[in-house]
Amino acid sequence: MTEGQRAAAEAAAQLAAGEADEPVILNAPEPDTRRVYIQDPAHFAAVTQQFVIDGDTGRVIGMTDGGFLPHPVAAEDGSFFAQASTVFERIARGKRTDYVEVFDPVTFLPIADIELPDAPRFLVGTYQWMNALTPDNKNLLFYQFSPAPAVGVVDLENQQFDRMLDVPDCYHIFPASPTVFYMNCRDGSLARVDFADGETDVTNTEVFHAENELLINHPAFSLRAGRLVWPTYTGKIFQADLTEDAASFREPFEALTEQERADGWRPGGWQQTAYHRPSDRIFLLVDQRDEWRHKTASRFVVVIDAATGERIAKLEMGHEIDSINVSQDAEPLLYGLSAGDKTLYIYDAESGEELRSVDQLGHGPQIITTHDMDA
Amino acid sequence: MPFPTKARTLLAAVAMALATASGALADKIELLDAAPEDALVVNIDKMKYETPEITIKAGDAVTWTNQEVMPHNVHFLAGVVADEAVKGTMLKKDESWSARFNEPGTYDYHCTPHPFMRGKVVVE
Ligand SMILES: [Cu+2]
Repeated sequence: MTEGQRAAAEAAAQLAAGEADEPVILNAPEPDTRRVYIQDPAHFAAVTQQFVIDGDTGRVIGMTDGGFLPHPVAAEDGSFFAQASTVFERIARGKRTDYVEVFDPVTFLPIADIELPDAPRFLVGTYQWMNALTPDNKNLLFYQFSPAPAVGVVDLENQQFDRMLDVPDCYHIFPASPTVFYMNCRDGSLARVDFADGETDVTNTEVFHAENELLINHPAFSLRAGRLVWPTYTGKIFQADLTEDAASFREPFEALTEQERADGWRPGGWQQTAYHRPSDRIFLLVDQRDEWRHKTASRFVVVIDAATGERIAKLEMGHEIDSINVSQDAEPLLYGLSAGDKTLYIYDAESGEELRSVDQLGHGPQIITTHDMDA
Repeated sequence: MPFPTKARTLLAAVAMALATASGALADKIELLDAAPEDALVVNIDKMKYETPEITIKAGDAVTWTNQEVMPHNVHFLAGVVADEAVKGTMLKKDESWSARFNEPGTYDYHCTPHPFMRGKVVVE
């Protein structure tokens, strides 16, 4: 029985029983590890939507509106979700306002609206880790590209903008403690930024990849584990464990075999990488493609043991998938999002079997966010 | 352009803003329509300002010339050479942009689409 059939039968039974219809505003179910957020940047439209879905049942349980290329975040403990957004006084022109909104995870009511001074948001196709919450959920960190690289600190606890931190020529934000985060720098190193006590202390790690090893815009990162998983265009996987003190790099490995690479297999899509913390597994979207078609959809996911680099599975998705993620429970769901189909396909991550799907998700859905609640 | 070198103060809007404000920044920089003969040259190539720090005397002009097909410009943030930001036009290969610096000071700049390209003009 489909969801619509179930609701129809329920309504018919109520009618037969003489129960009156009392329209109310619903609450969403409490957040859990299988709740999934689908952000739709809508191909650069001035306004956007995010769909909140129960991965277990494939039901849309709520929605949030956003402005231009908003960035979604979700507290790992499920206590709230938020976004950094941008609006203009005349739809797509006029005075620009950047702001951060925090939402109650059950009522979806905005519980904070914090303006960001001087429109500092980096307007860019949404990359999952271009903004981040600190692990204590007290601050939201966002990136500024122009006129100079900087990271904005938004104090969620006191509901106010704190300050901009000057940083080197580095991108993305990976928090490792309440006051330390890492960024990936043009010179091939990571920057460690400590912003405790009103200071900004920046140090750089060693250079960990060559200039011709192109790291994609969509690394996977676990806030809870501190694990950063960063593929290149060819599927070479760099990993680092980020702690408050330091970044320690793991031995890189190839996600694709020599034969596959010879046969034109490469990663591709949007959010191409997922990391399952409890099982220490990496999921990577791959297909056969030209070298410079790295943003087209893929039809396969390789599953890799992050500790050994060994291939566990190669799953055939059955659809043109642009973005993937996984739920962080012991028997995870694998989420495969097709921007073309505007559909979220939900799979069993172990077998790759497609369980259900959710369609009509906006104009070009691209970003999948979850709560990592089983600490 | 076939015209003689003609000094032109900043864009009208900037000049207006300065006139109504303190006016102290009005003479710090003059944008020039063409490269003066005696200008000091900063070449731009391989995603860099080749002389990222140049020291000149008050009244000297500087000409930036892009040597590569990647477009670049010169961008001073608000408050550096004027109350408003001065965002130079994008230079294609072999194009130039010139300015005269009239007051001692250190003026930091960057390239708008490449914020990692940075330079400074030190005026003695
Ligand atoms: Cu440039």
